[in-house]
This record gives sequence, structure tokens and C-alpha cells, in this order.
Amino acid sequence: MAFYFGLLQTIGIHTLLGLSAYILLLTGQLSLAQVGFFAIGAYVSGILTVIFEYHIVPGLFLGALVGGLFAFLVGFPALRVKGLMLVVATIAFSEIVRLFFFNLNWRVSVNGVEVGPDSTQGFREIRFYAANGWDTLDVVLFVWLFVVIVMALLWWLDRVRVGATLRAVGADELAAQSSGVNIVAVKVSAMTGGGIIAGLAGGLYAHSATYVDHLTFSVLLATFAVAYPILGGLSSVFGTLIAVIFVQGVLIEGMRFLGDWRNILFGLLIIIAMNVRPAGLIDGKVVLRIREALGTGKKSGGEGHAETR
Amino acid sequence: MFNLKPIMKPAVMAAALSALISPAFAEETVLIAGWGAKSGPLRSFGVNSEAVLKAAVKEVNDSGGIMLSDGRNATLEYIYFDSACNAEQAISVARKVASETSALIGIGPTCSGAAAAMFGVFQKTVGDDSDTGLQFPILTDTAVRNGLAKISQWTFRNTPNEPDMYDKLFAWVAKTYPDLKTIYGGTETDQGHSNGTYSKVIVQASKRHGFDWATGAIEGVTGDLGSGSTEVLDSSSNWLMADTNFSVQARAFKKSNADIYIISSHPFTTCGMLKELKRRRAEPKLMIGLTSSSSAEVMKGCPDAAEGMIIPTSFAPITPAAEKVAMLANENGGDADLHSAAAWENVMIIKRVIESVGIGNTPETLVADRRMIRDGLETLEMTDGLIGEVQRVQDEGEALKPYVFVQATEGKWAVIHDPRAMQ
Repeated sequence: MAFYFGLLQTIGIHTLLGLSAYILLLTGQLSLAQVGFFAIGAYVSGILTVIFEYHIVPGLFLGALVGGLFAFLVGFPALRVKGLMLVVATIAFSEIVRLFFFNLNWRVSVNGVEVGPDSTQGFREIRFYAANGWDTLDVVLFVWLFVVIVMALLWWLDRVRVGATLRAVGADELAAQSSGVNIVAVKVSAMTGGGIIAGLAGGLYAHSATYVDHLTFSVLLATFAVAYPILGGLSSVFGTLIAVIFVQGVLIEGMRFLGDWRNILFGLLIIIAMNVRPAGLIDGKVVLRIREALGTGKKSGGEGHAETR
Repeated sequence: MFNLKPIMKPAVMAAALSALISPAFAEETVLIAGWGAKSGPLRSFGVNSEAVLKAAVKEVNDSGGIMLSDGRNATLEYIYFDSACNAEQAISVARKVASETSALIGIGPTCSGAAAAMFGVFQKTVGDDSDTGLQFPILTDTAVRNGLAKISQWTFRNTPNEPDMYDKLFAWVAKTYPDLKTIYGGTETDQGHSNGTYSKVIVQASKRHGFDWATGAIEGVTGDLGSGSTEVLDSSSNWLMADTNFSVQARAFKKSNADIYIISSHPFTTCGMLKELKRRRAEPKLMIGLTSSSSAEVMKGCPDAAEGMIIPTSFAPITPAAEKVAMLANENGGDADLHSAAAWENVMIIKRVIESVGIGNTPETLVADRRMIRDGLETLEMTDGLIGEVQRVQDEGEALKPYVFVQATEGKWAVIHDPRAMQ
């Protein structure tokens, strides 16, 4: 079962990464900075558990916090740009972060072994799980505890006024502002929230992979982060999860047996999925149908607003 | 009454035949797994490794297969996965192979970065019950970055020892070309192997053997491994793996007026850099490359520009066995080079270990078999390599492989020095 548990870990971590972009997309911000916050969370929590020998829980917490802090700082200048300019600006931020870790050399001796980030040689042996007797099931439960908490939180937010405000800003910034919505607060809050979630995901990733280097945090990963919620649909928080299962579970793992054809089919299936379901795999109509089937359907409400996005 | 006699004979024959082809009489197989980059920019590494692995498996089976502890011979089979030189995918495949297949050992996962991550999910110390890492033996063929096998006692490598190779290379260059005094170089800084070998091994080896940095001594470089590595990079003209323009770097190389240029990068940017140097008519008296570039890719991509470049390598078709592997790799759609050729040696090592430790090869003994193979690998002191005997560094899971110095000559790698007798 170790393989399936490992796959569940990957799906969980990528879901968190996707959700960090989801919350921003609700406000109409397309950010490729998520991978930067993800990297910050990975390195900070890795350094805390490996060099300072913290338990993973405070390590993750602080990693997420630092990720959120940087997101907060990025949030303000990001207000000045939107659309493609925001994409370029956030790519630049992620590259700055990547190059910082590319040059970070912080090797210290812990219990007679030299550990820590070693610039291009990467940061090895972030082995909290295995070294503390956690088996893959324990790790899966641990990762998914955070996934469930974050998804529940975002699901709840989407059903209260905050969610409506986020979507209002995303749907029409000017109209939202005219209605008295504080755009600055909403956008910076979304960026900060996304940064915290990405930082948390990064910390979980570093401990799951046991190794990180600057190449891990490439533009490709940043693209995946925004592709998940877009592919899954912004109508529901579950769309991101479905998209991650589709990409990581079906396209990457499920088609591994196809060998060289996998990458060709990978792109092709994403194009088909985007064409067949332009508003995402879980669009507003699907959400409404599910809610009606469950007997909780409403003609209007938080979920389903973005079905035409 | 029915007359059964006419159908009895065919029925008995059919029963006997079906018994012969039933699982109880089916040929026994021993499964091994390989994985590496079969997609992405480093695809050729995985293609080459699989081509050699396939040839080696066929060779084992053609010579009778693998003998099990009860004296029966089993056929060797392999499965190969694409892990794309991606850490997550390498870990995922390792878990899949270890938990979902009956493979006894793995060969992979091509890249050093993926290996560094993958090795981390293995149990660090054998028998440490508090460590829940994977317990599955790995014998890597390609990932060459220094010191990786030490990450876990379940991971072994059959890859070249670059500090030794470059030390001997510069000793030989100093002796063979006494007029050459100065060096200058660069590396693809975003690749751990190229960068680490250049800044921690090559430049220090050159210093050790009396060569001077062309633009002035580099602070901190004493000749000891790793000394002044940051300063080495600061003093060099570097590039990245995705770069396609090398004009700035080539200009710096030419301006250095060095006798020897060091180009520490993988084949893809090595060719880019070499072509730019040629275009600028930069004419050093000697060029030295990274081990990974002693491959067919350079000879296919830039044979003219590479003319004269010297590289130490642990594979060259200089023995009948090596010639045969090179030919078989080509037949299987790949090339044998210092990385992929190790897959052949690994299969032969695996055969030897399995036959010596005596595995049960049943689902019930799978865990014990894997442990026995790991222990068997650890006890090896010497293995047969394609160009000579390979010493095992038992504490570290590493290898000390024989090597030769090759030079790009008219579109081929020609052996110009064979130090094996002295090794």
C-alpha cells in the first residue's frame, strides 16, 4: 500500500498548492507567486526540523507563517498591477525566491552530521517522518488532516459573506468597490491566505520528498498551481481536488505504463478537458446538480457564482 | 456403453501437455526494476540505460539465467518506468516497485537530484526498526553527484569516482603537457553535478597539480576538495542548463588567455558553449570536460567544436566486453556511455549476488530476499567492470571504477591514455 499512500500524499500536497491559487483566483488575481511561497514554506520548515530539530508541527506552522508574511508583503505591490502584468510580476517574485535558495548555503553540524541547504547541491535528508517512525499511512493522515481543514475552511468561507465578497471582487472589481468593498483588504487578505496555504504545502512537500533544491520550484510547478483550480473549476473548492486527482492520479501515475506516449497524451487530455468543460471539471451547473441531489440546492448562493468564469 | 478408447489417448496427451504449461511447471522468473528519465530534457539518459539494461538481461538469460538456492535456473525479467528525473516521480516509482511488484532490486533513477530525494525515503540504517523508510535495495547506474549512496544503507551506486578521476587527469596533463600552466573555466551552475564537480573537485585538482588560474589566484582554493568553492564560481564564467546563448561566457574564456579551458556541463550546453568558442576563434591549447559529456550526444551534436577535448570516463569500447555492450546498446536504440554502461555491470552484479546469497524467490521470502541481496551488495569487495575490475567502497555503498582518458578526435572519442594498469 506504500505506493497508494505515497500517491495520496502527493495528491494532498498538490491540492493544497492548488487551493492557495484558488483563493486568489476567486478575487480575479492570477498569481504565479504560489510556488515562491511554497519554496519558502519548504525551506523554512525543513531548516526548522533538520537544523533546529523542531517537531514538524511547529516547523510547518512557522513555514506557513513565513510564507504568509511574504505573501502579505507581495500583496501590496501586486495591487498596482493586474492581469498579465500580475502574472509577470509574480513570476519575477518566484524566480527571486528560487535564486535565493539556489545560493543559500547554510550547513551546520547536527549530531556530528553536516546538514542544511547546500546551494545547488540541494537540501537533503529532511527525514522527520521516517526518522520518527511515521509510516506512510501516518503521513497520509497527517497531510490529509491539513487538506481537510483547509478545504473545510475555504468551503465555509464560500458560504458566508467573506466568500461572496471575494467573488464580488473577482467578478467586477469596480462594482465591488462601488458597493463599499475594501479592495485592498480583500486582495491582500487573499494573497496572504494563499501564501499561508502554499507555505504549508511546501513544508509538507519538503518532508515528504526529503529533499528540495531550487529546481523543484520551477515555473512549471507554478503553472500547475494555477492550472489545478482553473481545470477543476472555481465554482467549488472540490474542483481543485478533482483536478489534482485527474492530473497526478490519472495523467501522471495512471498513464506511466504508456512510457514515451505519456507526455503527449498528458497535454492532449488537458486540452480536451478544457474544451469539453471550459468552466472547469466541476462547474456551477455540476455544483447545483449535486446540491439539488443532496437536497441542499439553492438557486443562488456562494457556490455556483463563478460558473461562467 | 460409450467407447472411450478412441479419445483416451488424446485426452491423456492433452492433460500431460496442460500440466507441462501449468503454473507449477512454468518457468521461474526473477524480477528487477529500472527507472529513469525517459521523458523531458534528459530523456536520452533513460533511453540509453534501458537499452543497455535490456541487452544485459538478454545476455543473462542466454547464458542460462540465474541460479536459485535450490539449484533451479530462473529467467531474469525487468520492468522499466519513466520517472522523468523528477523527485516526486522517482519516489513514487520507488514506492510502487517496492510495494506493488515482486522486484528484488531497483536500478535508477538517472538524475542526481531525483536520487538525492529518492534515497531519502529509504531506511537510513539497516535494522533500525524506529526508521520506517523503504527497505528495498537500489543499485544506481547514472546519478554521479558526490556522496549520494551514503544517504541510506539500502542504496548503492556503481558510478565513477570523480575526485580520483580528475586528480589523475591533471597529474597526467601536468606531465604530458609541461608547457601548459594556466586554466580558466565555467560550469552550468544550476546543475548540482556539473557545479559541484567543477567548483569542489576539478579546480582544486588543477591547483594540486600546479596549474594557475589565468585571471589571478582564487582565494581559498588550496587544492583540498571543496576548498574555496564559492570563490571558484565567482571567478568563473558560468551558464545555466537552459541557456542557448554563450557569447558572454565565451568572450570571458577567450579574454582569459588560458592554456586550458574547463567546460563542466552536460552534453546539451557543452555543445552550445563549444560552438560559441569555435565561432569566436578561441583557441586554447587544451580543453577538459565533465565526465557526463564523454557521451555520444556530444559527438552527434558538435564533433567539430569538441575536437581535442579531453574527458576522463569509466567507459570506452576498449575491451571485447565493452565493444559488445556498445554494439548491443545501439541495436536496442541507445548508446553505451559511462552512465548507461553501468546498467550492464549492475545486472551482472545482481546475478552474482543473487546466486551467492541464495534467495527463495517466493512471495513469502520477498522481504528476506531483498534484505539478503542488500547484504550481499554490501559484502562485495570487487566486481567485474566492462573495462576492468571495480572496487567497492563498502562503508559508503560507492564504487571505485577503472577509467581512461578520452579525447574527441574526428567525431569519435579516442582513448589517449589508459591508466588502468596503475590504478
